[in-house]
Amino acid sequence: MKILIVDDFSTMRRIIKNLLRDLGFTNTVEADDGTTALPILKGGTIDFLVTDWNMPGMTGIELLRAVRSDEKLKSTPVLMVTAEAKRDQIIAAAQAGVNGYVVKPFTAVALKEKIEKIFERIDAAK
Amino acid sequence: MSNKLESGLVDFEKLVKDGAVELLNYIEVGDFSGAIKKIQELSEARHNSFYNEVGFLTRSLHDAIRDFQVGSVDLVVGEEGSDTANKITDASDRLDYVIEMTSAAANKTMDMVDSSVPVASELQSQARDLRKDWTRLIQRDLTPQEFRELYKRIDVFLSYADESATTLHSNLNTILLEQGYQDLTGQVIARVNDLIRDVEEKLVHLVAVAGRVDSISGIEHLENESEHDDTRGHGPAINKQKTPEVLNSQDEVDDLLSSLGF
Repeated sequence: MKILIVDDFSTMRRIIKNLLRDLGFTNTVEADDGTTALPILKGGTIDFLVTDWNMPGMTGIELLRAVRSDEKLKSTPVLMVTAEAKRDQIIAAAQAGVNGYVVKPFTAVALKEKIEKIFERIDAAK
Repeated sequence: MSNKLESGLVDFEKLVKDGAVELLNYIEVGDFSGAIKKIQELSEARHNSFYNEVGFLTRSLHDAIRDFQVGSVDLVVGEEGSDTANKITDASDRLDYVIEMTSAAANKTMDMVDSSVPVASELQSQARDLRKDWTRLIQRDLTPQEFRELYKRIDVFLSYADESATTLHSNLNTILLEQGYQDLTGQVIARVNDLIRDVEEKLVHLVAVAGRVDSISGIEHLENESEHDDTRGHGPAINKQKTPEVLNSQDEVDDLLSSLGF
């Protein structure tokens, strides 16, 4: 299981990376916005995407839409971890096909719960 | 300053008012050359007032810029002595400093966590191993050879526990001290905040002055209200209670998503 963490702040990437490691996901890669994330995703080895919303260059919602409209990437699970908490934005993310939405500041428990829920759903769909 | 502005404008408005009555009188009695002369007078007065206002606006702007520079007191960072003391003079530099400080503190804290986690894990795993054999000892289930080994292992473990506690203690202390960034960055942000309020106050004044000029020159501005695009993001919501479209917690987000069939 290889996870791509996309956030423009290195500290937040590091926090997420450490929490994921505690959850047993040790294979992670990082990108600082959608523009740098997309080529990594297209490299084809990413199983799970964790992305922020508000980033310079390509934002998280644009990255999500790009992933969903790419034939090869469209089934990649996407978890949004962001400070963006407007009702319209969450609805937009849901419509764009996000698999989970965690608002910052978040707890390790919330992150764990959402990730587990996403995997449960994927397993159930199999 | 604003009193002078007020009186200048009141004079001009009075002139227009009186002039209009006189103009009407001229027209009523059929004195058109007198009427044209009055119109010219009014036009000249308008020009003069206009240039006065522009002059006033320019002076206000100049004052505001000068006050801004005087108002932004230098902040001295670091205590390596006055020679090497690093003066941060402009607001954007100050905020860069906040970003650096918070980032350094976050990384230092995470370094300490990274170096503490393996220590705690090792302590836990050694304690669990010992516990197993300790239980067997209580149940008198150990061979004399195993007992001698356990005896040594306990000694090793105790000294490791001591060392680990010292390491963890020191790491926790480092984390504690690192939180001092809040004080330092808080001070910087408070100063930048003062500056912003100061500048805003002056800008509001300038807008008022500019508005007067507009009223004389007859210029109308199109209200240009640009709606912020959700796609670009808004950053963390500061006043959640005051903005009803912003959700307050992960629970509310979860409720919304489940109402959407998630």
